[in-house]
Amino acid sequence: MKTYSETLYDSYGQEFAVDKVYFENKTDHQHLIIFENAKFGRVMALDGIIQTTEADEFIYHEMLTHVPLMAHGKVKRVLIIGGGDGGMLREVCKHHSVEHITQVEIDAQVVDMCKQYLPNHSAGAYDDPRVHIVIDDGINFVRECKDHFDVIISDSTDPIGPGDVLFTSDFYQHCKKCLSEGGILVTQNGVAYMQLDEVVTTAKRLQPYFSDYSFYSAAIPTYIGGIMTFAWATDNPDLRTLPVEKIAQRFEAAKINTRYYNPAIHVASFALPQYILDALEKDA
Amino acid sequence: MPKAIKSDQAMNRLTIESTDKAVFYQQMVQQHGSPLLILDCDQLVQQYNALSNALPDVQLFYAIKALPHPAAIQTLDTLGAGFDIATSGEIELLRQQGGRARQTIHTHPIKRDADIRHALRFGCTTFVIDNVWELEKFVHYRHRVGLLVRVSFPNPNTPIDLSRKFGCREDEASILIQKAQSLGLHVKGLSFHAGSQCPDSGNHVHAIEQCGKIINEVYQDSGKLLSVLDIGGGFPVEYMQPMMDIESFCAPIRQALKDLPEHVQVIAEPGRYLSAPAMKAVSSVMGKAKRGDACWYYLDDGIYGSYSGQLFDHVTYPLTVFSDIQAKEQAVLAGPTCDSIDVIAEQVSIAPLSIGDIVVGHQMGAYTSATSTHFNLFDKAKIVAINQPAQHTENIFQLNNN
Repeated sequence: MKTYSETLYDSYGQEFAVDKVYFENKTDHQHLIIFENAKFGRVMALDGIIQTTEADEFIYHEMLTHVPLMAHGKVKRVLIIGGGDGGMLREVCKHHSVEHITQVEIDAQVVDMCKQYLPNHSAGAYDDPRVHIVIDDGINFVRECKDHFDVIISDSTDPIGPGDVLFTSDFYQHCKKCLSEGGILVTQNGVAYMQLDEVVTTAKRLQPYFSDYSFYSAAIPTYIGGIMTFAWATDNPDLRTLPVEKIAQRFEAAKINTRYYNPAIHVASFALPQYILDALEKDA
Repeated sequence: MPKAIKSDQAMNRLTIESTDKAVFYQQMVQQHGSPLLILDCDQLVQQYNALSNALPDVQLFYAIKALPHPAAIQTLDTLGAGFDIATSGEIELLRQQGGRARQTIHTHPIKRDADIRHALRFGCTTFVIDNVWELEKFVHYRHRVGLLVRVSFPNPNTPIDLSRKFGCREDEASILIQKAQSLGLHVKGLSFHAGSQCPDSGNHVHAIEQCGKIINEVYQDSGKLLSVLDIGGGFPVEYMQPMMDIESFCAPIRQALKDLPEHVQVIAEPGRYLSAPAMKAVSSVMGKAKRGDACWYYLDDGIYGSYSGQLFDHVTYPLTVFSDIQAKEQAVLAGPTCDSIDVIAEQVSIAPLSIGDIVVGHQMGAYTSATSTHFNLFDKAKIVAINQPAQHTENIFQLNNN
């Protein structure tokens, strides 16, 4: 029997039964694998760390997309940094009000490979005429970008791989520059219980550039260790505290089908457990 | 058929065997060229099993540095060995051979940040530190790693004392562990290296006892459990001198391990013991000259090549030449390079050799080709693996075949 062991932590980890290997690449000092697991469907792992699975990706992608888009209310232009698997794009494309989507992916091969081996992630979204794919390092793109976006979504990998620049002050500063007035930046920010200092570090780095910054959360089974936090940064503090009725109104108008996201979840996801609040030295 | 005759000049340095014994080597040279290193994977298996039997409760991590060769890694992987890696180059070799990252330990006490990141991305999460500056390098990765503190136990009785360059003092270990805790880092155990090619296991026993004390003291003082003890290597093989057999060598170690707290899991990093007997060097006489009373034979491999261990590893390898002639003469066996230091054996008494004749070096699997150079731009001896076990059908990195 074949198994795949995640090597994210020394003293704790998850293991998958491997029914079939679809793709494996061990070049450029990287190891990428896509395999079939009975519980989670197709699983993609990079350098010993689970990146996404077919079964639970909807939680992650819906929460990084619909929370900022619904809170903003009139999003026309969206920038996705990373997200080569296409899951984020799929969710953003559900919003008919969105007119333009730029996705910046560092590696063109990731997009092609995911289209082939994880087709349900993008579900055809790469063919949407609103989508513009740019192959570039995310940090380069935001440094040089002169355009503005209403929402920026950073869908990065683990901060030890090539994604580490997407957790820097430099990146947040340039994202701020690329946001239109009242725009929102959201980022994947790790599993807080396992890596609490990532929350603290991100908060410190967002603080100089945004008048309102916080985190919201969701539990994604294969990002093990409890809730994953998403960083939230904007200059409009009202967007984080909209009443559930307002969100429900917008959600209904948008006519979007979701499996995890709903207006009640939206509002509740901004409630943070005390250990995170204590770490942030904030009051509830 | 004459029996093997021992050379009477250098003690056991050189044996002369009848030419029919050379047939295998000649065939190998015809097929693969000369010089050649023949890696016998069966011998690796035997060595691994012998050490496993002598230390049944100790998990073995092969020190790749001794012989960083794909066939050695594959063979030992098949047996369930783990791997001791020290550099990014060794990681890449292991990655290509399908080594399972969960079964690796990174044992270099001094690393660059890029090395740590590389190892983490490979999937190795166990690292060794022996000082506070090294400890601080891990703060950024503290949620992901488990550390071993390397303690120094100097051993003047070994040819290579591995506690001089690395390892903290015994009294520093608990200070480092406290410091680690204050930085939020997890120290999961201790490691030591009793020396290379140890004549006896006295220093291992001493180090195990002292580490046991540290483990107990740390628990009593802070409640911190140290659950791993890495007893390093140092298991001896025979070159010129007879050495203790592995069972006798390990018996006192087994006894000492019994006194460790029950929760401690013991691991070891054998390199030389596993690989040295598994490889033979085959070189050919490429020229000869009469100088004074001695006949000089110039071989196509020497001190800058596979015999580099005579310099770096302080080892003299047993040699065999093949002849059916009883007459003997004084001879010098030299390597091929232009440097006069490149002499493998002097003052040996052998039957006359002809150009093209073969010389075989024994016990040449550890720190031989690993430290050979390209001096004079001579090619390194090619390694040919024989008796390789059947390839994994599922040879996939990080996939565990249970």
